[in-house]
Amino acid sequence: MSAAHTGTNGNVFTYLLSKLGDHHGFYVGPYKVLDLPVILWDGGTLRAYPSTAAMEAAGLYRMVEGHPVRVADGQRPALDLSVTNLVVYQWIGMLLLGVALWRAVVRYRRSPLRPPRGLQNILEAIVLFIRDQVVRPNISSTTLSNRLLPYFLTLFVFILTLNLLGLLPGGHTATGSLAVTGTLAATAFTIINGGAIASIGFKKWLKHLLGGGPIWLSPILVPIEIIGMFAKAFALCVRLFANMTAGHIALLSLVGLIFFFKTVLIAPVSVAFSVFVYFLETLVAFLQAYIFTILTAVFLGLASEETH
Amino acid sequence: MELGLAWLAAGIGVGISVLGAGTGIGRLGAAALEAASRQPETAAETRTLMLIAAALIEGIALIACIVCILLAVKTS
Repeated sequence: MSAAHTGTNGNVFTYLLSKLGDHHGFYVGPYKVLDLPVILWDGGTLRAYPSTAAMEAAGLYRMVEGHPVRVADGQRPALDLSVTNLVVYQWIGMLLLGVALWRAVVRYRRSPLRPPRGLQNILEAIVLFIRDQVVRPNISSTTLSNRLLPYFLTLFVFILTLNLLGLLPGGHTATGSLAVTGTLAATAFTIINGGAIASIGFKKWLKHLLGGGPIWLSPILVPIEIIGMFAKAFALCVRLFANMTAGHIALLSLVGLIFFFKTVLIAPVSVAFSVFVYFLETLVAFLQAYIFTILTAVFLGLASEETH
Repeated sequence: MELGLAWLAAGIGVGISVLGAGTGIGRLGAAALEAASRQPETAAETRTLMLIAAALIEGIALIACIVCILLAVKTS
């Protein structure tokens, strides 16, 4: 990293990727605003430090390329449970959603018959859209779709909020990290299979593994269906991550052109294309939240379908 | 030498996967437009189906891109 920092011939691509990754400390843009606690689980003991500086002062660990490693043998600790930048951005997203939704809920409780106002209009549009266009057409079982509607609504608004937080100037995209999207996909995997088992029963769910083929084809079909089960969740995870990261890399590369050619003349071109990519990213932020939600609904609908 | 070959492989790989994904999404878009113009009353349903299929194609292309990125950031 140091080569790229000093402007010599470092790998610019790796440098850009490292800027998009997770950091120890709360960052707005490239500036560190706040120290965040470092929590390490190593060798059966839990160690917590208020900041990376305090961790290095304690003498057991030091930071190498943005990660804590043991001073003794230079290895990473077994588990790094630190509160990192992207965790804080998720908390900000949850807080924003909580405050906004709570205000709407209070208004609905106080005067349920008054026409909706301001934020309530957006909320009603989102709820109706997810219910009538995403969940109900794809999940045939009414009890299942009614029970899981809150999950799909949460999924949509949470991913959308994180995507849009990343588009604010200085914001970091929590959905542009494999850890975050992987967790979302793991939740979706649990919901898809758990919901299917709860809805049609374990036996019928097992029957889905045959893929509708005759029993003598099961040595081929069962492994394919099992791989497919995991591949769906994996594709959900990678799709969201790659879409959010790709737009940011395009933006950084366009701005990077100015420094690459070392002239101001390229700036108008860079800025014009950046604005275009920024608007495209706004579209992608909405689209990917929608795609993640509808694909989860479609997969759940497929898994909970009655076999013939 | 080997790093150069890895970058070459990454570039060629991205090109080929983009070709495939572009062809796929192009054909999908053409078919969806045709369906929507033939039966405008089912346009909303067609759009949903198109988006799902596009997302599936895109997923394959993105996994190919990740393989290429892994090649491009190869350090040894």
